[in-house]
Amino acid sequence: MFETTYPQLIGLCTGTLLLTSALMVWRHSMLASIRLLAVQGLALAALVAVIGVQKGELEVILVAVLVLLVKGLGLPWVLAHESKATTRTDEAPRLNPTASLLTVALLTILAYVVSSRVLARDTSVSAHAAPIGLAMVLIGFLLLVTRRQARSQLIGFLVLDNGIATVAFLTSGGVPLVLELGISLDVLLVVMILYVFAGRMHNKFGNTDIDQLRKLHD
Amino acid sequence: MNAVQSGLVVQALLALAAVATGLLSPVSWRSRATGALCALLGVAGIVTGAAALGGANGALTIPLALPIDPLVLSPDRLGGLFMIVVSAVGALVSLFGIGSARGAEASRTSWAAMAVFLGGMQLVPAATDVVSFLLLWEIMTLGSTVLLLADHASRSTVYSAAIWYSAMSQLSFFFVLAGFGVLVAATGGTGFQTLATVPADSWPANLAFVLLLLGFGGKAELVPLHVWVPRVLPEAPSHVAAAMSGAMVKIGVYGALLVCVRLLPSGPPWWGVLILVLGGVSAVYGILQASVASDLKVLLAYSTTENMGLVFLGLGASVLLRSYNATAAADAALVAALLLMVSHAAFKTTLFLGAGAVAHATGELNLDRLGGLGKRMPWTAGTFGLASLGAASLPITSGFVAEWMLLQALIHGARLDGEVVSVAASIAMPLAVAVLALTAGLALLTFVKAYGIAFLARPRSRKASIAREVPWVMRVPLVLGALAVVGLGLMPGPLAAAIAAAVGPVIVPDVHTVGLAGVSLSGIDAVLDPGTLVILAGLVLVPILVIVALGARRHPTRVDPLPWAGGGSRLRPRMQYTATSYAEPLVRVFDDVLRPSRDVEVTHVGESRYLVEKVHVEQTVSDVIETRLYRPVLNAAQRFGLAARRAQDGSIHRYLGYSFAALLVVLIAVSL
Repeated sequence: MFETTYPQLIGLCTGTLLLTSALMVWRHSMLASIRLLAVQGLALAALVAVIGVQKGELEVILVAVLVLLVKGLGLPWVLAHESKATTRTDEAPRLNPTASLLTVALLTILAYVVSSRVLARDTSVSAHAAPIGLAMVLIGFLLLVTRRQARSQLIGFLVLDNGIATVAFLTSGGVPLVLELGISLDVLLVVMILYVFAGRMHNKFGNTDIDQLRKLHD
Repeated sequence: MNAVQSGLVVQALLALAAVATGLLSPVSWRSRATGALCALLGVAGIVTGAAALGGANGALTIPLALPIDPLVLSPDRLGGLFMIVVSAVGALVSLFGIGSARGAEASRTSWAAMAVFLGGMQLVPAATDVVSFLLLWEIMTLGSTVLLLADHASRSTVYSAAIWYSAMSQLSFFFVLAGFGVLVAATGGTGFQTLATVPADSWPANLAFVLLLLGFGGKAELVPLHVWVPRVLPEAPSHVAAAMSGAMVKIGVYGALLVCVRLLPSGPPWWGVLILVLGGVSAVYGILQASVASDLKVLLAYSTTENMGLVFLGLGASVLLRSYNATAAADAALVAALLLMVSHAAFKTTLFLGAGAVAHATGELNLDRLGGLGKRMPWTAGTFGLASLGAASLPITSGFVAEWMLLQALIHGARLDGEVVSVAASIAMPLAVAVLALTAGLALLTFVKAYGIAFLARPRSRKASIAREVPWVMRVPLVLGALAVVGLGLMPGPLAAAIAAAVGPVIVPDVHTVGLAGVSLSGIDAVLDPGTLVILAGLVLVPILVIVALGARRHPTRVDPLPWAGGGSRLRPRMQYTATSYAEPLVRVFDDVLRPSRDVEVTHVGESRYLVEKVHVEQTVSDVIETRLYRPVLNAAQRFGLAARRAQDGSIHRYLGYSFAALLVVLIAVSL
């Protein structure tokens, strides 16, 4: 029975991943973004778990638990906690919602076109879903480029990281636990550093608009 | 282990020992120890080169961890000849450096770089594959760049010179690398023997020829790649400048010969024409700039461009005539070019070392402030004078022999057995003769100026009037260099025969030794025996001189006091010719080419319009090629840099956008 539902489960998880990414581009509120990020983390964990069950490997399921803890619960909690502590300034987008959703659509198409070339030989179910990961990478990058506030950019960075993780899980059928442990730790560390940095920026300039940091060039 | 192999090992060890000594020894004996080791390194190079020139085979194989063929150092006869020349110059300048290097020039870095420079340079002619050639070539360039920077703390101009030198060296290296790359791609091997299998009329051969000629021409100071020369040689310490001009430039010639004699020996006529034009333009342009220069080192630097131009003129004539099967004249031109190369090494090293001695004694190199050094520094003056004779190609010196042979080859070249070889050669050869004649005339003027203004007449400054002769350790290399100039001039036969053997085995010039070590070019019926001529002239002149001397003794010397001195009784140094005034007629004649900028400032006495208190004249001759060819390129690069600055405005968003755009472009390119 699992064999027939497996593709559907994979489709559900990756669909959620893509949907949450697109919604993050649409919504500008910080709190909404953090919730979406939490959902995305959960979907990623579910994806890993599905792959683990299908392969019957305990290690992959452990990785799924780790992803759930770090990306589904840990990071969103840190972000939400930090956001409550400081007053939020509203994100003034560089791209209006319509245009950004249109761009997301184009990026997704591009991801599919590229993947069809790169993964042409791989016919497995998970490889078919891999373009979603690439699309997430591109969407994350788009968020990085279009958001003004350092904190919103952090969301973009995390989406990008989730995209990379998705591609890794789908194409290699699970990442060794040690590797995932290392990557998670890295991401956690980067988020901490960026958050401390953004907090100090906020204290010093009253906001975290990185467009004001322009003096560092020759 | 045979002589060549052990010689190569000894050279490498001596170079390393010299580097270590330079880095570790205290300042009290650093110059002496490292200079002596560098001189020994030179001697080892001479011995190894002589063995290789004599026909000994030996190879030093250096295996590498990289997945390429091992480096093989094995000088052939031609490589042996160049190794001798370069090492001899290296030994002389090292000895000179012991005495002349002071302050920053004698620092740890400088002496270590000197050893690296000399070691790399001596081993370049031994390379038998592209990788080792380029490696040693770059070691040589690196060492010389560091040496050039010795005085950077005291003079700001050194920086600009070093930047020019590095940029032009890299340009040369790029051309050489690209040229070899084309040949390697066409033949599939990196050894020179494999590269030589490329057909001479194929497009890779043609492309590689042009690239390699530009690359090696840049090192050999050919116009228009010479712009580093007038900046670098005056800024480098004198002994380093001597090594650069006397030896490093020869490596450029070696590269050109490697291409024209070893790799691509049977090129089409236009190759010869290209080399001829490059050489001819360099010769005339170089000597023109030299003749108006008033800084002694700038003068010598431009004169190097002229001499290398003549070497390439001979090489070009050789390639052109060979393509028309005028073998005898082609061989003569090739031997003449190499003879000029060797004699240039002798006289230009001596001249630069002489300039170094002058700078050491007076701290001055501007000819307009020198003068009267002949009496105060007889050794330097004598050797500089003999080397000047060589540079001006006057008899009893090696320069004369070389230019005479070149002239013979050019004159006889256009005809073969009374028949016209080709239209191209009939036009090119007379033009080349004209270039040679013009160059020789201007060279005479230039070195009369260099010697006359610096060493004769009265001192033009206080520094020149209190100059003292340099210590013996600096005199010895000067004397050895001058002896080489005269020795090769009086007995050119053995050297010419050695050169003829060196360019073999494909090309076998018909050169023989005749009379008293004279030289005979049987192919074009030309014989020169300077030794015999000098003895004959001596037999005629000595009796005449004796008779004159005897006659003079019979009549007491008459002293004519000046009845009216015309101001002469108060002769002051300011009344003499200066270097600038001596060259003034020439500047006027070649006004359109040289485009000097003059600045005359007259200060009047009080309110008077007729009484002059002071006249200040300043004349600068800029390098036309630099201002017309390089300036626009540099300005364009600068404008591009400023424009690129606008793209980099410090906005993180913009940088992220660039990365995003780049990522998208890559992805789209992948999916296409």
